[in-house]
Amino acid sequence: MLAFENTKCECGHQNPVGTVLCESCGYPLEIGEQENDAPLEMRYDGIARRSQKSNPNVIDRVWNFFSSVKVAIRLIIITLLAAMIGTIFTQENAFISFDPSTYYEERYGWIGKWYYKLGFSNTYESWWFILLLVMIGTSLVICSLDRVLPLYRALNKQQIRKHSQFLTRQKTVYTGPIEGAEEAWTSSIGAQLKRKHYRVHQDGSALLAEKYRFSRWGPYINHIGLIVFLLAVLLRSLPGWAMDNYVTVAEGSTVQIPDTKYYIKNEKFTIDYYTDAELPKELKGTSRAKLYETRAVLYTCSADCDDPSKQPQLTEVNRHNIVVNDPLSYKGLKAYQFGFDDTPKLKAVNPVLIDHKTGKTYGPFNLVMKDPQLTYNLGPYTLELKQTYMDFALDAEGKPTTKSREPNAPAFVFVIKGPDLAADGEPYMYFPKQNDKVRFSQDMINGELAKRFEIKVPSMTGVEFAPVETSLNIRTDRAMPYIWFGAAISMIGLIMGSYWQHRRIWLRIDDGEVTLGAHTNKNNYGMRAEVASALRGIGVVVEPKLLDNGRNKS
Amino acid sequence: MSLLDFSSDAFIVAFFLYCFGFMFYGITALGRKWSDRSPEEHVRRWGRIAYFVSLLGFAAHLTFFFTRWAGGGHIPTSNMYEFMTFLAMAIMFAFIIVNAIYRKPLLGLFTLPLVVIIVAFAAVFPQEVQPLIPALQSIWLKVHVTTAATGEAFFAVGFAAGLMYLLRTVDFKQTSEKAKREQRWVEFTLYVIIIIIAFISSVFAFRGAGYEASFTQENVTIDEKGIENSTTETVEYSLPPIFKPYNSQVVAMDTFLGMKEPLFETPHWMKGVNAARKLNTITWSIINGSILYALIRLALRKRVGAAIHPLLGDIDADDIDEISYRAIAIGYPVFMLGALIFAMIWAYIAWSRFWGWDPKEVWALITWLYYTAYLHFRLSRGWHGAKSAWLAVIGFVVVMFTLIGVNLVLVGLHSYAGV
Repeated sequence: MLAFENTKCECGHQNPVGTVLCESCGYPLEIGEQENDAPLEMRYDGIARRSQKSNPNVIDRVWNFFSSVKVAIRLIIITLLAAMIGTIFTQENAFISFDPSTYYEERYGWIGKWYYKLGFSNTYESWWFILLLVMIGTSLVICSLDRVLPLYRALNKQQIRKHSQFLTRQKTVYTGPIEGAEEAWTSSIGAQLKRKHYRVHQDGSALLAEKYRFSRWGPYINHIGLIVFLLAVLLRSLPGWAMDNYVTVAEGSTVQIPDTKYYIKNEKFTIDYYTDAELPKELKGTSRAKLYETRAVLYTCSADCDDPSKQPQLTEVNRHNIVVNDPLSYKGLKAYQFGFDDTPKLKAVNPVLIDHKTGKTYGPFNLVMKDPQLTYNLGPYTLELKQTYMDFALDAEGKPTTKSREPNAPAFVFVIKGPDLAADGEPYMYFPKQNDKVRFSQDMINGELAKRFEIKVPSMTGVEFAPVETSLNIRTDRAMPYIWFGAAISMIGLIMGSYWQHRRIWLRIDDGEVTLGAHTNKNNYGMRAEVASALRGIGVVVEPKLLDNGRNKS
Repeated sequence: MSLLDFSSDAFIVAFFLYCFGFMFYGITALGRKWSDRSPEEHVRRWGRIAYFVSLLGFAAHLTFFFTRWAGGGHIPTSNMYEFMTFLAMAIMFAFIIVNAIYRKPLLGLFTLPLVVIIVAFAAVFPQEVQPLIPALQSIWLKVHVTTAATGEAFFAVGFAAGLMYLLRTVDFKQTSEKAKREQRWVEFTLYVIIIIIAFISSVFAFRGAGYEASFTQENVTIDEKGIENSTTETVEYSLPPIFKPYNSQVVAMDTFLGMKEPLFETPHWMKGVNAARKLNTITWSIINGSILYALIRLALRKRVGAAIHPLLGDIDADDIDEISYRAIAIGYPVFMLGALIFAMIWAYIAWSRFWGWDPKEVWALITWLYYTAYLHFRLSRGWHGAKSAWLAVIGFVVVMFTLIGVNLVLVGLHSYAGV
């Protein structure tokens, strides 16, 4: 920007540096522009933006950087590309438990290895992606401020009589001789435009008609909404603003929601599948879920909450049949149907100890899967529990291990003490499930001891199964109202700016010759049709197409 | 006859009416030269006939939609077939709106074939009415899907107008480096469209002939504890296997042109869901598309773009540029409302979070960012005309990837909308 740029217009108005079209009469100020006759660049009405200062300092430079639409577009494109890269492979947060440092390489080879190393396996939580979003937010604020204030000023003090070059270089132009008195002609076209909902300002034989100016504020309102939205998203990362927990509740039981005073009870869990009659013939015989429902009751703890020796006293506060798409909701806390587990799982067995030597049977004793008792006294014998495996398996080296904490294939290692046995007892491995007993060769493991002792469940009544479990996702999200508010504001602004167009018509009559120019920021088609229709209203017939001043035509 | 059967018939009627609509638009464009009437009179008359037939097609399409809704018990937007038919219907709707504003008959010459292709593409997917799984039992199925598709439909019209602009303005006689590059890309775009037509035709040709082949594939995986698990699954092909699944045995295979054995095996690193079948289908589409393209070139004796270019001779290029931009500007708020805001509301109700970086969500965001960039580009000097038209064309590729590509290539929570 030249420091000594002359910004005084020939009409006498002193414009700020960077002005493209005189704020008062609209005469083009840029060097070389006056001789040109191409349509004018009407962006922001040719005003000087705040960033177009001479001698910018450091803050001005930062401001100038973020005030550029080109920079904004680049930021958008970089974010877009980063978001694309993040969808190439499944992101880390989609897995519950796995080791990302080996997973990507094992599954996708060297590409996966580098994908992980470069941090793309966690794109959307990475510092650089968040930085991009913050930069877009900054750009939104600065771009808007840079333009909206000068634009507001410019539109607020519009000159009615514009320079004739300003008029003839609009995209919609009409010139022609008039009949009758100049002011009367101007008033009559003014009346026509009023009928088309224009606000008409007349100054002798000059006229300015304008409508839907509010649509010019649409983009800025949209940007404000987006800023509110982005700030709300950032708020969510503050501690205490968002909670995300999962609870697993067996039918009939009540559990505490971690980190809260709330308890939730699963009264009944239902899964329904579509019957064959409801399914089309291609899907008959398949199980297609129809309903997952948890009848849930929410309690708060009213007394004895932190005393482990007492049962907490609960007060019911809410009750809801939670289904997918219909969570329980209470004071900002929401409980969503997330999953379920209806595979039959052992809860406890009641086995007996048989001494084959004497033929005597001792017991039964109650062996629960989760947190079992450590010693069992059975007649002359004592069973001491040394080791438990809930989901027994042998690892690559052949050592016993457990695949999960769910009692899918439980195994117990007891030390049996008693008469005729070694002083510190002898180990005995017990698989409560018959198929596991065969699969893992219980008798071989126990060797000689297997001939003397047997632990077994005498009948099915000795087996207790755990009830169906539902898993619920418990959430609080205090930023949600701001998120929705931001989205709504943004949408309102977008609709204002997209479905209405700011239209202005200027005209001046000089020596019996009218010059009319019209401008709109979108839809020049409609603009031309409207001008043609207004002219037709006062008896000037002209094809809308002929009003077209030509655009980008070389 | 049940309501659903009636619905399917209405769909077929709509398809043929769209085809006729396209043909009549073709006559509108072609016939200006050989008719004895004045060209304006010809365009006016045939443009009106073509538009009327297209409207009839739209009416049949609406009949299909509402009878299927009544017969199926839920809005038909719940799987790929239903969504694609809805998208085609929405494109017709967007075309009617844009046509009402601008009254350019030849816009139909580009929109109608797009609708025909999408309708035919929809029919590739299984067509039975599937009762809704719990995740889809929500009023937002109606609201979110329909608004998102309507926004995308306007982008589709923007694409049609953008392509029309390019075919109108790219001069196939010039030999400058820039002109040659533009000619190549326009021709490539048309080639891709021909490949898509070839894909749809191949699927229907082999389906019509009842072609079947099946394989058993053994998958070996080693889990984190070093335990080897192997599973076998059956893979069904409806196109002759150029590529068979990795590590698989033929169970049964019809012969095709003397081809009794699969020609190649899919490389082991292609592990996506049904990766082998997709590779096979893509290979067939490219082969048949190339043959089809070569035949068209032979018949025309010039490039396809060069053959279409003269048909658009007297259309004002600036008008098409504006139509393309306007269609996108109309669609953008609708898209944002449907594909982002309504999507977030539904995600918040169904999945407990309004945003989770699921691939489909991310791609909706990418589409939105793309068109945001487009709208900002339009504010800059020098981004009208050809550049803007290219952006509209590429934008629609992004839209289609979001709608189809994500379901076929990437996986995620929206996978139930897949094949």
